[in-house]
Formats: sequence, structure tokens, C-alpha cells
Amino acid sequence: MRLLQKLKRGYNSGSKSHAKYAYTVSRVRAMKSKLLPKEAYPRLMNMSIDEITRFIGESGYKEDVDELALKYDGVDLVEHSLNRNLSVTFRKLLNISEGEVNFLIAEYLKEYDIWNIKTILRGDYCKASKEEVLEAIVAGGSLTYTFLSELAAKGSYEEIISEFEGTEYYPILKDYDGTNLSDVENHLDKLYYDGLFVVAGSSKSKDRKLFAKFIRVGIDITNLMILFRLKKAELYDPQMMDLMIEGGLEIDLKTIQKLMPFSFEEFINELEKYSYWKEISDLVSPDMKSLIDVETRLKKHRLKSAASFSHVYPISIVPIMDYMLSKQNEVNNLRIIVRGKAAGLDDDTIKEQLVI
Amino acid sequence: MVTEAVTMTDPAGLKAIGAALAVGLTGLASAYAERDIGAAAIGAMAENEGLFGKGLILTVIPETIVIFGLVVAILML
Repeated sequence: MRLLQKLKRGYNSGSKSHAKYAYTVSRVRAMKSKLLPKEAYPRLMNMSIDEITRFIGESGYKEDVDELALKYDGVDLVEHSLNRNLSVTFRKLLNISEGEVNFLIAEYLKEYDIWNIKTILRGDYCKASKEEVLEAIVAGGSLTYTFLSELAAKGSYEEIISEFEGTEYYPILKDYDGTNLSDVENHLDKLYYDGLFVVAGSSKSKDRKLFAKFIRVGIDITNLMILFRLKKAELYDPQMMDLMIEGGLEIDLKTIQKLMPFSFEEFINELEKYSYWKEISDLVSPDMKSLIDVETRLKKHRLKSAASFSHVYPISIVPIMDYMLSKQNEVNNLRIIVRGKAAGLDDDTIKEQLVI
Repeated sequence: MVTEAVTMTDPAGLKAIGAALAVGLTGLASAYAERDIGAAAIGAMAENEGLFGKGLILTVIPETIVIFGLVVAILML
């Protein structure tokens, strides 16, 4: 009997989930093929905001633009449509997956729950109106849009935080006293990554290992960007270690601790040891003025490595994560173009910011 | 004189078992192969209905395994 149960368990965790992956992954790949191609961006750059709205209204964002056109117009319409589309897409991913895949995607999407909590608290902090807060909300995680808009309408942060009683976020949020927003935000981010590593480390399955590797490359890139900014601003305070995220693939906390007191030039020389150097070597120099190029290049590297990683492991969690990254990137790019145009920035400045 | 009773097995029976194994096992094998492809094809079709033809063809390609089994079975009998 026990043998039978063991066999059944083995069957459930191994081969059966393979077929589930095949379904979800091929669906996600079909979804990826519908993303805007690279060539679309130069065309978008030449359009006015209304033309862009029409362009995206005729592509994958049709439903969102149609639905929201009654309520908003101009830049707001694009912004809300993009956010709505992003949350609908991520919800769809949760709906078309089951078992382990679903669990891993849900864990990854907690990023949006945290993002939304942060947005609402920030909105409260700077006394933004409900509409302004809603503009930045992406209900991609487990918190629904209705719940979040109710939160955004609340008058004080105490009321907002009391709504989270009983959730995993409450122990961190209850320390918020109206002034220490950045601490709370950092703790929330750390909670997110800790959660991811608990999930990734709790099982020895191949998928979770891939998932962990994917997350760790992301952490490396984020840490590198923070380091670049710190060095550029000539901040060498060891307290800045609080900003760093633990668990990078190549650059762990110990290395960062070692890099912390370095000047910008020493830091660049030290970077040559890591694989990320070959991606950014032509852009980085001790007297560089702007970090935008480097940050864009690092983000591009992340996208590219995710794409090639997904070809190495075609039937696994990786193509799904790759899609999520590409989708986020597309929405970000569109937002940069529209917001840039609305603010009257010149084309070159906007182009610099795009990750294509 | 004591003689042993000689029991003869009918060769036709063995042949039938062989043919059954040929068809049965190859049937299982193609089912196993088609499972993932079918799931993937349904996924692709859910996003893009135009992929129905391609999905169908790819799904039935492992069917050749069972056809080989069938041919072997027919040759045997």
C-alpha cells in the first residue's frame, strides 16, 4: 500500500506536471509572440499621444483601452490601460497554470502586492488624491483592484495598515509611524525576497532550482544598479548595506561589503572580475556622467539572458518568467514614451530610457 | 517403459501473444508521447486558433509508432 502511495506521489510530482507545463508554456509562448516587436518602438516615437493610444488600442491592449476610454483620456487613458492590461495578463497566467507552476508564479507576483502597498502608503505620505494613487496601482498579485482602491480612499495610514491585520505584511507595517517610510519599504522588499528563497529552497526539484537562479540573477542586477548609484553619489556609509538584497548569484553580501568603501574608479576595476562586466564594459568609465546607459544595458542583459535561458530549459518555469519580464518591460517602455512625450522631453532623452 | 507426456504449445497462440504485445506496447508508447504534445497544442490553440492544423499534425506524429506496431502484428499473423 505504501509503495502504491509512493508511486502515486512520484507520478504526481514528476511526469504529470510535465504535461501541465507543456500546456502553460506553449500558451505563454503564443502570448509572447503577440508582444510589440522591436521595430514598433521607433514608429511609436514618431507618433503623438493620441496616435499612440490608437495604436495600442488596435493591438493587445484593445479591451483595456475600449473599457477605460469612457473614464479617462490622453496620457491617463494610456497609463490606466497599461496597468489594467498588466494585471489582467498576470491574472491570466495564474488562471492557466496549476500546481507547482501556479504556486511559483503566485510567489513571484507578490512583488505587485508589495508594490501596491508601497504606492498606497506613499500616496498617504504625500497626501496624494485617490485618483493619483490609483494611477500607479497594478493589481497583478493576490490583492484585488477593488480592495486596493478602497484602501486608497482611506484617510489615514493607521486605517490602511489595520486592513492588513493577519497577513504576512502586518508585522512590518505595524512599525510604520508616518515618517519611516523608506525603512518599511526596505523591509517589505526583503520580506519578498526572503519569501522567494524559502519557496525556492524548500524543494529539490529542478524547477525550483531554475526559479532560484532566475531570481538570483535579478538580485545581482538590482544590487549592481544600487551600487552604481551609491558610488556615483559618493556614499560609502556601511549603513547602506541595508539597501542591498541578499542572495545574489555572483555578487553576494560579503562581496558587496567589500565593495562598499571603494571609490567609483576602484569599484569599476573590481567589477571586471564578474560576468556582467562584458555587458557594460564599453559604457563604463571613471568619468561617466549619467548612469542611465548602464542601467538600461543591465536591464537589457537581464531580458536577453532570460530569453536565452528559456531556450535552454524550454519546458520549465523559465519561459513563463521570461514572458513576465518581457511584458513588464513592454509596459514600462510604452509608459516611458507616453510620459516622456507628455512632459515634452526630446526624442533622444526618451530613447535613452527605453529598454529594447 | 515409462514415457513422458509431451505437451505441445500451439505456435499460433504464441504468435497471437506477440502480435498483442506489438500493438499494445506501441499504443502505450505513442499515447505517452502524444500526451505532452497534445497539451502543448491545446495551449497554443487557446491563444491562436489558426494553429489548429499544425497542432493536429504535430499531435498525431507519434501515432507512427503504433502503426509500426500494427504492421509488425499483421506480418506476424
